[in-house]
Amino acid sequence: MNTALWAAKTGLDAQQTQMAVVANNLANVNTTGFKKGRAVFEDLMYQNLRQVGASTSQTTEAPSGLSLGTGVRVIATEKVYTQGSFNQTGNSLDVAIAGRGFLQVTMPDGSIGYTRDGSLQLNSQGQLVTASGYAIQPSITIPPGAQSISIGNDGTVSATLAGASSPTTVGTLQLADFVNPAGLQPHGENLLVASAASGTAQTGTPGLSGLGTLQQGSIESSNVNVVEEMVNMIETQRAYEMNTKAISTTDQMLQFVSQNL
Amino acid sequence: MDRSLYVAMSGAKETLLAQTSNNHNLANVSTNGFKADLSAFQSRAVQGPGYASRVYSTDATVGWDNTTGALAQTGQELDVAVQGDGWIAVQARNGGEAYTRAGNLHVDVNGLLQTATGHPVLGDNGPISVPPYSAINVGRDGTISIVPVGQQASTMAAITRIKLVNPPTSNLHRGDDGLFRTNNGAPAESDATVSLASGVLESSNVNVADAMVQMIELARRFDLQVKAMKNTDENAQVTAKLLGLS
Repeated sequence: MNTALWAAKTGLDAQQTQMAVVANNLANVNTTGFKKGRAVFEDLMYQNLRQVGASTSQTTEAPSGLSLGTGVRVIATEKVYTQGSFNQTGNSLDVAIAGRGFLQVTMPDGSIGYTRDGSLQLNSQGQLVTASGYAIQPSITIPPGAQSISIGNDGTVSATLAGASSPTTVGTLQLADFVNPAGLQPHGENLLVASAASGTAQTGTPGLSGLGTLQQGSIESSNVNVVEEMVNMIETQRAYEMNTKAISTTDQMLQFVSQNL
Repeated sequence: MDRSLYVAMSGAKETLLAQTSNNHNLANVSTNGFKADLSAFQSRAVQGPGYASRVYSTDATVGWDNTTGALAQTGQELDVAVQGDGWIAVQARNGGEAYTRAGNLHVDVNGLLQTATGHPVLGDNGPISVPPYSAINVGRDGTISIVPVGQQASTMAAITRIKLVNPPTSNLHRGDDGLFRTNNGAPAESDATVSLASGVLESSNVNVADAMVQMIELARRFDLQVKAMKNTDENAQVTAKLLGLS
């Protein structure tokens, strides 16, 4: 039917998506290592109903035409990789990444996932795992009976064993980075997976080649700004209402025609 | 049939088209860098015999609202907004040069600087390729500088400049894809006076209050036209009754 209705309908769709993004951001305000999402909109194509510059006589041309826009669409919901703030936990297995990079974990299907959630734990074999129980890549096993574990800025994991006077290095945590981290695909469970848009992972030692450093005893909190999300929510709600109004007004116009003619 | 019916019909039809344009503006109230469409009605008199009362109206897109939208702080280095007048040059799908004010840029997997819609951003020498970096900065004049991967922060290196232009509005039109182009298709000259702000995005410049009032006005105008059509119909009915054989 009328494009006026459809243009307004695309507006509703877009605001609905925006609301979903805001709701997800707000829901994850306390998720460790969470990066907020952002919906990106684009105006849909324009229909050229009357060509600008068309000849109105042999010597004159129309100074303006009529091109009608057809609404809006969501082109992406991208992740915003700003640094979250650090929360001191004092837990020796908590690591926060200061700067670029992701920890690599082996997912159940054997592929590699990437995360900035550094609240690590040990499994029954003494392996470093994420809160979901997925092993950190490269795999690091803490020997049984370790009295203390320390993780250096460069990712070196060392453990002091019972009776030993000096710590022994048991492994090194590595970080992975991407050309376009915004292109990583969110996978749930605080994990992201590589995609064609993100490029392949470049792994390296923390602190070298542009990678961030690790901070033991802290976790990176979510980078969601609650006030910003609230403002977004108000804006979204009002925009939604106005598009609803546009639909009902157009509907009333058409109703008026059918009732009066 | 009374010709006033057609005059009223053209009024109603064109008002509905203007409402479409207004709805499009409202739908794009959250689109970064969006410029509201302005529409206006033009009168088209019909020349011919009889009393010169037939003036049809046509809706026309007379341009776009050129005011700057509100600037929203995002804190991302690659979010840029043009301050004041001016445009960011991007490469359109056909390889030609087009202009936009939507500055949420990102570096794609091949290191190409792109807009959110996937159009490569143009520098002084064509599309901008950004080497792997650990920090990036966009200056006020569009200069992109990076700290290459593995280097100290002191080795900030300028790569190139984003092409910023400011052709006269009369020389621009909006293409079907929503990007702006020059009327003759020739690339516009870079303008050193255009300045960029980094870490902010320009929101849509649709004035919602204005659009709502416009919507009411168009709806009422439409009602009037329909009323006029109904009146013409009633006139015709009365005529038929008077002239009918009883």
